[in-house]
Amino acid sequence: MTPQAAKRVVEGLKAAGVDFISFLPESRLPDIIPLLEEEKSITLVRASHEGSAVSIATGAALVGKKPAVYMEGTGVFLSTYNLQSAAIRIGAPIVLLVAHVGSPGDKANSITFSGYGNKMEALLQALAIPYCIVDKEEGVETKIADIVRAAQSANHPACLLFTGEFTIFTGGWT
Amino acid sequence: MKRFECLQILSKLITDELVVLGMTGIHWEWNHLSKHEGNMKIGSMGNAAAVALGMALGLPHRRVIGLESDGSTLLDLATVTTIGRYLPENLTIFVFDNQVYSGSRISQPTVTSVRASLEGIARGAGIESAKTIHDVESFEREARGATSEKGLRYVVVKVQEDTDARKLPKPTMDYLEHKYHFVRYIEKTEGKAILPSHR
Repeated sequence: MTPQAAKRVVEGLKAAGVDFISFLPESRLPDIIPLLEEEKSITLVRASHEGSAVSIATGAALVGKKPAVYMEGTGVFLSTYNLQSAAIRIGAPIVLLVAHVGSPGDKANSITFSGYGNKMEALLQALAIPYCIVDKEEGVETKIADIVRAAQSANHPACLLFTGEFTIFTGGWT
Repeated sequence: MKRFECLQILSKLITDELVVLGMTGIHWEWNHLSKHEGNMKIGSMGNAAAVALGMALGLPHRRVIGLESDGSTLLDLATVTTIGRYLPENLTIFVFDNQVYSGSRISQPTVTSVRASLEGIARGAGIESAKTIHDVESFEREARGATSEKGLRYVVVKVQEDTDARKLPKPTMDYLEHKYHFVRYIEKTEGKAILPSHR
């Protein structure tokens, strides 16, 4: 992920009104974390489990926050229970910002991740979570605004899957 | 000590606190005792403390009380560590520890009936004020503190197993209806719109 892409993602989240993010760090989009830490308009919560992050965001939504949960695709598998038993059942409009590891567009794909990536869309479909794949930096702000609107309109989680250009490692670690 | 006795005490002290309810017996009993608009039924294992934490961090000037059980807490120990990281001053978690999975109907034991200490886990997660209490007088003191003082409270309440909750009338309000009541209460008391308008 380039610094420019990270900046555009964070600016897109701010413009869409996202003001609460619970997360676990991962390797594709971590450049957004320092920018989020500097952003005073967003409450940032470091969770220890993606399922916990989903339930924390659900609580924030219930008191009027516009929350997102940032995590690796593997975290969606871990948080399936919390998505169904809290966010979906209650009807909480939380946005999942997911690094779509193991997807065909993942520039760091390997056998470690491919099994998750290959099943991600089926998993989201099983949960009836609307999603959008974003693989280009250009227009990411619009995709973020669209998915936040989708979540708010339906009172239901919605998901952005980041792959392609967002999965190019920068900073020397490959 | 029975959980119901504790909930009777707490329900009389609630004014504008937000109360997050976990699974089965707790929400049946609380529903019987309290019609407070700030009650939010989650009704699943391993969620109430995390939802309460999200509320507390999202609305830091409101007191939030999470009513949890030992089985539910054991399912989501990750949230205990996040509470220990942020130590929100407006959050109380009461863990009613009856040392069994009462919902199993044949009362299978939880690990707290052997050696595991939820107070010890919470302290290890950074919640140095975590405590365990065993009597009604101590509970009343904690309940009064939770509804009148600042400061994170993580209180493990040792209770005996009590199946009387199963005889209470079951709530008729489902999760979505509960959510709308709760959110409208937040809108009213916080003076802000939360639910979107319709075209």
